[in-house]
Order: sequence, then structure tokens, then C-alpha cells
Amino acid sequence: MTTFIIAVVLGIGFGFSLNKAGLTKYHKIANQFRFTDMTILKYMMTAICVAMTGLYIFRGLGWVTFPTVPATYILGNLIGGLIFGVGMALAGY
Amino acid sequence: MNQIKSFISKESWSPYLAGIVLGTVGLLTVLLANTLLGASGAFESIAGLIGKKIAPSVFSNVYWGVEGGRAMPVIRPEITWSVILLVGVFIGGTLAALSSRTFKFRFNDDTQWKRIFGPQPWKRWVLGFLGAIIVAYGAGIAGGCTSGLAISGGMLFVPAAFLFMAGFMVSGIITILIVYGRRY
Repeated sequence: MTTFIIAVVLGIGFGFSLNKAGLTKYHKIANQFRFTDMTILKYMMTAICVAMTGLYIFRGLGWVTFPTVPATYILGNLIGGLIFGVGMALAGY
Repeated sequence: MNQIKSFISKESWSPYLAGIVLGTVGLLTVLLANTLLGASGAFESIAGLIGKKIAPSVFSNVYWGVEGGRAMPVIRPEITWSVILLVGVFIGGTLAALSSRTFKFRFNDDTQWKRIFGPQPWKRWVLGFLGAIIVAYGAGIAGGCTSGLAISGGMLFVPAAFLFMAGFMVSGIITILIVYGRRY
């Protein structure tokens, strides 16, 4: 039960920040690919930097052990990404 | 107090600030639940759950697991942690829209979209639906979406995340180039 409450609370934070960053709007997604609006990259890279710094500090302190990381298989990740980009640019979500 | 109130009710925050919020959420996910943020896996779990009920023979494969099989399925067809997370995402997004008073049922009101494709809502729906199918397919092949692979993988320094980001930027730019043509 506690894990479900944690999931909902974290999800609320996730959804709230997505909406406030404006990633629910078509033009934000489309203009990223035209390089006239860099919101997505700013948002994603900030999130990655903050979480990365925190995670490696916490691991150094021994507070966390990393969960199973997403597997790397070069062709799959690259081709998946290429297909994903087509859909993302078309749907704009 | 009023300052906090007016800050929360702003329609959009600086992307850096929203990014810090998401980074903290990602960090807390590992700290509290020892798992990673992800959205696409939840949809695949729900699809598997429904599929196993309707057509068990079709959905009995390596991806969703074989009944009584020894191999771990790639996607567990059950109510997983990320399905619950998705419920929270929905609530959070709604709360954010309510807080900035932009909550509204909209079918097609993006001015840029209307300029490029015309004002008909059905075009938006068709393209959105097709795009969503392609997105889910690509995410299934790559092993995650922008949140599950790019952000969660990126914060663990996983090479897959950066390959995936490179992939979707390249094909996204090409697709937009084709769709927008001279209006790029």
C-alpha cells in the first residue's frame, strides 16, 4: 500500500512539472525540432543533471543502490529512437 | 504567502525550474521505491492485461510472458508500479492545469497547428492517433520512452539513453522538415 501512495505522489509531481513546463502543448514539441523553442532540451537536461548529481552523491553516502538499469543494445535503442521521433513529431505530445 | 500563490498559478514556469522538480522526483523514485520513472511500460502492461483476457494465444509470447513459462517477460501484464504512477501523472497534470486556470476540454486549439494543417479537428485526431502508435512501437523497440529511457537512463549514465535521444532528435527533425516543407 505504501508503495502505491509513493507512486501516486511521485506521479503527481511528474505530471505537475510536465504541465508547468508546457510540454502538453503541440507547438513546444514541434518547435524543438525546428530549434525555435528549446524548452524540451532545457527541461530534460536540467532534470538529468539534478537527478544524476543527487544519485551519485546518495550512492557515495551509501543511501541507495542503483536499480536495474535500462539495457543497452545499440541497434535496438537507435532504431527505436528513430521510429519514436517520427511519431513524436507527428503527434506532438 | 500571496507570492507563493501567484507563483503556483503561473501558467508556465521556467523550464529549468520544472526540470529541477522532475529531477527531484526522479531522485526520490530511486530513493523511496528503488525503481525508475517510466510511462510507456505502463501502457504496455495495460495492453498486455487486456490482451491476455481477450486473445490469450496471441498475447502468449516472449514479450508479455508465456503461461507457466520459465523466462521472465519483458513487460509484466499486471497493475505495476508505473501504472499507479501514471494515475498520479494524470492527477498532477490536472491539478497543474486547474492551478493556472487553463483547464479546458480542447479538441484542437493550437494556433501553430491550425496554421500548418488547417482548422479541422479530425486531422489533429488522426495524426495524433497515428503518431501515438508509432511512438509506442518505437518505445517498445528501444526499451523505454523519453521519461523511462532518456531521463531515467540519462541520470544513471546509461549509453542507451543517449543513443535513444540522438535517434529521436534526428528523425524528429527530418519528419518536421518533411511536414513543414518551406515553412520550416
